[in-house]
Amino acid sequence: MINLIVIVISAIMFGLLLVWWRWPAFRAWIEAPKYFMLRQERRFDDQLKG
Amino acid sequence: MTTLSEHSIYTAGQPSVQSAGKLPSVEYGLIRAHVFASLVTLVISVLFGLLVATKFTFPEFLGGHGWLTWGRLRYNHTQGIFFGWLGNAFLAFFYYAVPRLANRPVLSRKLGWSLFSIWNFAVVLPGWVLVAAGFSQPLEWAEFPLVVAAFVVLAFILMAFEFVLPFLNARLSDLYVSGWYIIGGIVFTMLAYPVGNLVPWLVPGARGAAFSGLWIHDAVGLYVTPFAVAIAYYVIPATTRRPISSHFLSMVGFWLLFFVYPLNGTHHYVYSAIPMAAQKGAIVASAYQGMDVILVVTNLLLSLPGSSGTASKDVPLRFVWFGVVSYLVVSLQGSVQAFMPVNRFIHFTDFVIGHSHLAMIGFASFIALGGIAHLWQRIPGTRYNERMMNWSFWLLAVGLTLMVTDLTIAGLVEAQVWQSSAPWIDSVRAVESYWLVRTLSGLPILAGFVLFWISLVTGPRLSEAIVSETSRVASEDKAAFEDGSAASHEFSLTGWLSHAHVIAFGAGVGFFALSFLVLAILPGKELADEIKRVAPVTMPTLTASEQRGRVIYGREGCAYCHTQQIRSLAADVRRFGAPTEAWETKYDYPQLWGTRRIGPDLSREFNIRPRDWQLTHLYNPRFVVRDSVMPPYPWFFSGSANQPTQEALDLLAYLQSLGRARELSGFERQALVPSVQPVTPDMAMPREASARATPPTVPIAMTGGYSDSAPVLHPASNPGDLQEEVSRGGTLFAANCASCHGAAGRGDGKASSSLLPKPANLTAARFSDERLSSVLWNGVVGTAMPPWRQLPAEDLRALVAYVHSLHLPAAAPATQEVASLEVGKALFAAACGSCHGGTGAVNGPVAGTLTPPPTNFHLKQPTEERAWEVLENGVPGTAMPPWKSQLGESERHALVAYVRSLYDTPQEGPRQ
Repeated sequence: MINLIVIVISAIMFGLLLVWWRWPAFRAWIEAPKYFMLRQERRFDDQLKG
Repeated sequence: MTTLSEHSIYTAGQPSVQSAGKLPSVEYGLIRAHVFASLVTLVISVLFGLLVATKFTFPEFLGGHGWLTWGRLRYNHTQGIFFGWLGNAFLAFFYYAVPRLANRPVLSRKLGWSLFSIWNFAVVLPGWVLVAAGFSQPLEWAEFPLVVAAFVVLAFILMAFEFVLPFLNARLSDLYVSGWYIIGGIVFTMLAYPVGNLVPWLVPGARGAAFSGLWIHDAVGLYVTPFAVAIAYYVIPATTRRPISSHFLSMVGFWLLFFVYPLNGTHHYVYSAIPMAAQKGAIVASAYQGMDVILVVTNLLLSLPGSSGTASKDVPLRFVWFGVVSYLVVSLQGSVQAFMPVNRFIHFTDFVIGHSHLAMIGFASFIALGGIAHLWQRIPGTRYNERMMNWSFWLLAVGLTLMVTDLTIAGLVEAQVWQSSAPWIDSVRAVESYWLVRTLSGLPILAGFVLFWISLVTGPRLSEAIVSETSRVASEDKAAFEDGSAASHEFSLTGWLSHAHVIAFGAGVGFFALSFLVLAILPGKELADEIKRVAPVTMPTLTASEQRGRVIYGREGCAYCHTQQIRSLAADVRRFGAPTEAWETKYDYPQLWGTRRIGPDLSREFNIRPRDWQLTHLYNPRFVVRDSVMPPYPWFFSGSANQPTQEALDLLAYLQSLGRARELSGFERQALVPSVQPVTPDMAMPREASARATPPTVPIAMTGGYSDSAPVLHPASNPGDLQEEVSRGGTLFAANCASCHGAAGRGDGKASSSLLPKPANLTAARFSDERLSSVLWNGVVGTAMPPWRQLPAEDLRALVAYVHSLHLPAAAPATQEVASLEVGKALFAAACGSCHGGTGAVNGPVAGTLTPPPTNFHLKQPTEERAWEVLENGVPGTAMPPWKSQLGESERHALVAYVRSLYDTPQEGPRQ
């Protein structure tokens, strides 16, 4: 049980770090939603103000 | 007057897919409705909690009615917080955030009002009423009855339609982490909740507990945590107007949470009968969960640097910041609590209750309050009163800090007492003052919540002020917006992988199935095999009366103070007996293991205490245990403890069935043999210090029925030391004995009217040291007198000294008494010898069959008045009959003189 959990989590973490390191475009892609969220906030604020 | 809320932009009926220039509609009416419902239910739930806490200090407070009893209020407190407060707060936030995150409106306004109605008028309100009326299920975080649970499931299905479907066509590159948490929380809870409610009714005992453990943790991990973290991830950037530190880390945190959180469940049953592999798996998952939370909180706090001014001025952000810090503390605390060296010590104590309050108030409620305040400042027509809001924050922060600190210390104190051999009630006495502080700490918390509510309804009505000054921070990183927008098109996933809801649902089902497989189904199979192999062939089931009593036990929340689970720990075994094995629970639908001990474990209650003690204890626990905080159950009786209703008899029958199968099959005695292999290294039974009288192989809870050779406790011979012993004995007597024997030892305590035989009048007889030592060591079988061998030897000696002091020295025997001794001796041999033995040494032919045993007059000398009274009236509740009609007055006088003359003379035969 313990081995299963440790192996699976380690594999997931390693895989994520590998993708992060190997594909720089992935970094920009996965960070994009945080800007989208702020853009949406600004749109709603602007609409309410305007 | 036209308000912004009525403006077409913000009304429903917009196209489901918005063009770039248009904004999706937001259901402001539903936001307000859920906010008010959340605050109404919050205040009611906190009042329930305050009553529950007050009853620890004043157990009789509002104790005359079933619907106001501790157990039912406790059920309604936690379910009210869970569904009423947090559920409504989360829903309000979803209506605010989902249109922004999905760029689409929620599915339907009508559906929204249906959901609102179901949540509040088919779940929360009827749930409270049904629990108060006695319809509930004894499953932690699932106390509302099954009929209500069905509406909860329906509500989650509606939530999936209302909030998940708008994300249907969202690009992954647009889906912000808060959206992921909302989708994940709804999907996972929709799957876990019905299983957590239903399976324990279908799978009994230890096997069911494995499932219960999952839901106990999933309730926090899959419902409370994702939604609260979603709010935190939303409010922080929305207030500071800066993106979070790393969306990548936020997604790592998201997936790690949903992977490891469900695997935590069994850490609620460490050292239990559930297979150790599952327990250790849960502990490892708990450690990973702590790491995950470090990652999430680090990411959130890294999103705040440079915003300290904003965080200090913006009260909603301050609420969220407090919640995030609490999240870190409570999660690390939870991980550490799961570790065996810590768990063995603090589990079942108030330490865990402090942990729960830090989670539900410090983490979830602070963030939910921050979310509500944040949106309240940004929706049309509503603003909060900043001064009130500020006061609310500080009252809550101070109250919560006091409560958690207090409960944490209380838990450590309880744990310390439990590790010793001191009587259970000592652990209650030790934390009484902490419980009072806990209740007082609830007052600023209640005031804080009420002020929060007031701040929402007394804020300025500014329709033009859309964004607060603090939220209009000029730190928007517009260049970053452009970068992010452009980059999102350079890397993309295609096919089904591009749909967030598909990924979330698939992973949800997968993780859910994995956790149930490894923590419940596989261990359950192992347990089933073990039960088949070990269980006695003729294990009795519960009778109809016992079964009804079990329902009452669950209904009144007994399992929230009494466990039925002796853990594989030396402290548990020493106190309660051999560890609970899975087969003992094979008929328990649902399991009643419990996760908290305020009173002692009850899994070996069979044959421990007599019927009259149990009934008196149920009628009013303080009649037999002065410092008990157990609620009274007078509605189970028709006016007095002597007049139990069928419900009282059913509950009594159930209590007296606990541990019966084990006792009758001989398991109990086998497990107490020192050569039994320890289940864990901890099971190696430690040698007690000689100061403690308890031998390590006799559980402390085993009361009555012993006839061990007791050490004879002689009070001090030095007058000064003796005086000190008598004084200390008086204090001990008042605390432990006066409930039955009366403050002056006359046998007229509160319990005396309902105990049969009545407690001894200690002023009406002289006792030898040997007799008092034997009674204190073994109790008196067939009476309510328990053994007190768990007390230190010096305390027992002090009690002996004090009881001696209650008896006034008798006058010298009158001449005629001496003359009648021979007559008395002959009468005694003829009339009393079969029970008391020919010489009063309880060695008559039937003496061994009588409970309570007849008096040994060599060890106890009644006063003349008492001896005469017994001959006149007999002793109700014993085999001693009245002799008034059979013996003349002179004969009775002769008997009185004779039995009194036996005291302290050599005796023959076995001593009693």
